[in-house]
Parts: sequence; C-alpha cells; structure tokens
Amino acid sequence: MMNLIREIWQSIVRRDPLSTDKGKSELVFLNVWLHIHPAKVKKENMKFRHTFYLGFITFFLFLILLTTGIALMVYYRPYPPQAYQDMKDLQFVVFMGPFLRNMHRWAAHGMVICVFLHMCRVFYTGSYKRPRQFNWVIGVLLLLVTLSLSFTGYLLPWDQLAYWAITVGTNIGSYAPLIGGQLRELLLGGHSVGEGALIRFYVLHVAVLPAVMILLTIVHFWRVRKDGGLSRPVWKLEPKKTETLVTIGAPAQIAALQAAAASKDKTYGLMEVVSGKPIFETVTPDEEEDTVFSYPYAFVREAVVLMATVTTIMTMSLFLNAPLEELANPAKTPNPAKAPWYFLGLQELVSHSAFLGGVVAPALMVLMLLAIPYLDRNPSRRTGDRKLILWLFTIFVVANLVLIVVGTFFRGPGWALVPPWVHVVAGAE
Amino acid sequence: MNRREFFKISWGAVGIGALISGVGVSLAAVLRFLTPSVFYEPPQSFKIGEPGDFPFGPPTFLVAEKIFVFRDREKGFAVASAVCTHLGCTVAHFSSDQRFHCPCHGSVFAADGSVQHGPAPRALDWFEVTMARDGRLLVNKDKVVPPNYRLMV
Repeated sequence: MMNLIREIWQSIVRRDPLSTDKGKSELVFLNVWLHIHPAKVKKENMKFRHTFYLGFITFFLFLILLTTGIALMVYYRPYPPQAYQDMKDLQFVVFMGPFLRNMHRWAAHGMVICVFLHMCRVFYTGSYKRPRQFNWVIGVLLLLVTLSLSFTGYLLPWDQLAYWAITVGTNIGSYAPLIGGQLRELLLGGHSVGEGALIRFYVLHVAVLPAVMILLTIVHFWRVRKDGGLSRPVWKLEPKKTETLVTIGAPAQIAALQAAAASKDKTYGLMEVVSGKPIFETVTPDEEEDTVFSYPYAFVREAVVLMATVTTIMTMSLFLNAPLEELANPAKTPNPAKAPWYFLGLQELVSHSAFLGGVVAPALMVLMLLAIPYLDRNPSRRTGDRKLILWLFTIFVVANLVLIVVGTFFRGPGWALVPPWVHVVAGAE
Repeated sequence: MNRREFFKISWGAVGIGALISGVGVSLAAVLRFLTPSVFYEPPQSFKIGEPGDFPFGPPTFLVAEKIFVFRDREKGFAVASAVCTHLGCTVAHFSSDQRFHCPCHGSVFAADGSVQHGPAPRALDWFEVTMARDGRLLVNKDKVVPPNYRLMV
C-alpha cells in the first residue's frame, strides 16, 4: 500500500527532494509553470527597491481580472436594457455580486496605475537598453492593450457614465484623418453608440483583447528570461574592466571543463541555449556571491506579492463600491460629462482642440514611447550619465499627471475651470 | 538558368502569389464582415407632428431625434441639431441667454448655431423641415440647410 502511494507520488513529482541542489533546479526545469524562471536568481536583482515588484503586481492584477471577469460573464447579457438590469442584479441580487464587480473594477484601475509605474521604473533604471529594446516596445503595446481593455469595459454597465464616456471617446477617434469616420463606424457597428456598439465592445473586452494581452504577455516574459532575467540594479553597476571574472556552475578552469569526459551511464540533454549569458555564466565575484536558487528565494517573494495584491484588492472591494449611475440616456448628457480618470488628461487636451489634442498629441506620445530605446543611443544605465533624458521623461510624466489632475478635480459644469474646494450647482437647464 | 531552377522559382512565385492574394482576400472579407449590411437605427427622415403641436417661444427638444424645433410667429419653423459638432454630446438650449451650451467641453453656440466659445470646430447643423402631404412636419437630417432657412406655415 505504501509502495503504491509512493509510486503515485513519484509519478506526479519526478524531481529529487528539495533539500538537494539538484531537486531545487529540477523543481524549475521539470515544471511547465515554473520553468519560465531561471533555476537561480541574483538576490540583488530581486530587491524591492529595484523593481518595487510592479511587473509581478500588474500580472497578478491581470489574473484577478481574468477570474472575476469570467465570473461576472455568467450574469451579464450584452444587450442594451438588459445589460443595465444585470448590473442592478449584480448590485442587489447576486450572491457576492457587488464584491466581484468591485474586485474587477479596482483591479482594473490598479492595473492601469501599475502598468504606468512599471514603465516609469523600467525607464528610470535604463532597463530598456540593449538587448531589451524590443521588449520595451512590447511593454508599450501592453500598456495600450490595458487601456483598450479599460475603455471597452467601461461601456458594458450601460449607465450614463458608460454611454457618454464612449460617445466622447469614439468621437475623438473619428477626428483621425482619412479613416477616422469609417474606423468609428466599424467599432460601433453603427452611427452612434447603441446595441451594435455594446456587443462589439463586449466581444473585444471578453475575447479579442484578453487574447492579445495573453499572447503579448507571454512574449514579454519570455524575452525578460532570455535577456538574462531581471535587470541589474543601477547601484550594482560597476566599471567592468577592473574586475576579475570567475565562472560559476562549472570548474574555474575552462581547461578542466573541457577535460571532463562524457560518462556512459548518464543521459545528457541540452537544457537551453542562451546567447550572451548562458547557465555557466561569466560573472563578477560580487555577482557570484549574490546568486541563490530560485526556490525558495524568488518563489517565496512572488507568493508574498501575490497574496498582498489579492488581499489589498479584496479589502478595497469590501469597503469601496464601484459606481453605477442611472440607465444610459442618449438625450441627456450629464454635466460635466467625464471620461474614465486615466483618459481625463486626453479629455483635457481634447477640450482645447479635438484634432491636435485628441489625435496628434496622443499619436506623438505613443510613437515617442515606442521609439525611446532606439532614439536613446547612450549605452550607460547610470543615472549620472543620463541626466537630460531623465529630465525629459520626468517632464512627460508630470505633464500627464497634471492634465489628469486638472481634468479630474478642476473641471466643473460646462468644463469650466472650477477648483475642487468650490461647490457649484449645475447651471440652469 | 536550367530547367530545374526555372521551375523552382516559378513555383515559388506562384506559391507566394497565392499566399498573398489569399490573405488579402480574407482580410477584405473580414473587413466587409465587420461592416453591418443593415443598420437597425432610426431613419434620417421622419415626421415630428402637426404645426399646432409646437408652441411659440422657446424651442421644443425632441429627445429621441436629438433636435430642437423652433417656431417663430413671424419667421416660421426651423430645426436645429442638438448634437455638438465637437464630440457628439447633446447640447442644451438656455432660454436665459438664447444660446446652446455643451456640457462636455464647454462649447457655446449662438442663437444661429455658430460657435462662440470652446473647442467645437463648426456650427450646429440646421435640418430641412417641410410639410408632408398629411399636414405633418417632415424633418430630413440628411439635408443640412443654412441657419436662415425657415418653413412658413
């Protein structure tokens, strides 16, 4: 009996015990879910103050969004009057309905924030530089997909907020030269936001965009892994040439490594081919001291971040309710009508000029972000060598934040400039 | 070029050509598929009622059609669009200042629909209004008319 249990266990877990180094390596190599990790990580690269774990948090928020999103689909019909009724059911009738909807909402907001902060972190640490240029581009695309998911999700409750945010948002798109009008018609499946638009946004939100997001995320992670894992913290960058190099994971003498003859009673397999920094990595002595097995060092940290993320979103969802306004009314525009907060900077620009602010400025911003790793020819990642570009990026970030803050807090009825501490009663109808 | 090379290149060209045309036709078909053949939307031309239904003075706002119906004792009927030319929000007509105000980005339109303030790129549309055979007013949103257009009844 004990033998049978042991046999079953060993058919599932085929690695050596985790008390051995071989077991710790095999835990990673032999597990389809864990093998995106390297068997060993550098402690210093996993430091909180290097990455703030923003990439992990973003990914975990996406997992929350996937699971709660699938749950919400069970009680949602993407058709105009029913869609809003279903939101009301989720609010008052469905068991745990408000909790799930709140989690979906707050995780979505959190993901927008964390993607943006993650981008800032990668920029400030210069981690988009060679060989990671294209992964930065993938990251910018992931930011755009995140915003598209937020935008398409915004229409689904079919309340006043949803209806008018999407009316304004899709009209911005129609200012794009040549194709703008057709693009909007294609997106809405009609000439105005109606039932055709709702089903199209639903399909984009629950099928097309999540698929794109998952595919791009896989490429993003794969490239991080192939480029040698997390980037080296800036404070660990040393002038290379003065260091003596040693080889870890293999005998110090290269000659000795060549001399080792293949044993006849073992099967050899090629684990992986990595250009630049292979498993037998050439590192500084300082780096060698820094290297530990991923199990448990990295996995424990990831688990803690996962639990902290889930706990935070759950706690928020207990106390803060996602807003739901009255049923969408095409005849009555709320005053002021505001887009979701992350688009309020855009709306602020649009209030000055729909074409310049709504099409030219965002297009230039995206192009600039995409081009950063190719325009920045400076090979150094050290803060002191990058003063100008750090200032430029900081101005870009602050300008975005100021526009969002102005759009969110300083715009009152009729989009008039009203400070948040002044209470205004909406003008006469 | 010998016979073997000739066929290799020829068949390669045929293959690539077939691939490109196949993908092209498929993309065109997908685009056409995504464009609705029928719009289940309200018609652009519709009757709004008899002249007597509309009072003199402040305009009547028709919710579903998104239009203002003006009736003036001397000048007659005129129909203005309630859709802001900026980003499609519904404007409100304030009787206090006789102007149209957009709640989204603060555009203000004068009594004749021209832009006075804000980001709107052009004036509000005025639509043709005629008398149908059955004595009801017929509005045609496909026919934009100058702001001084009036229908005398």
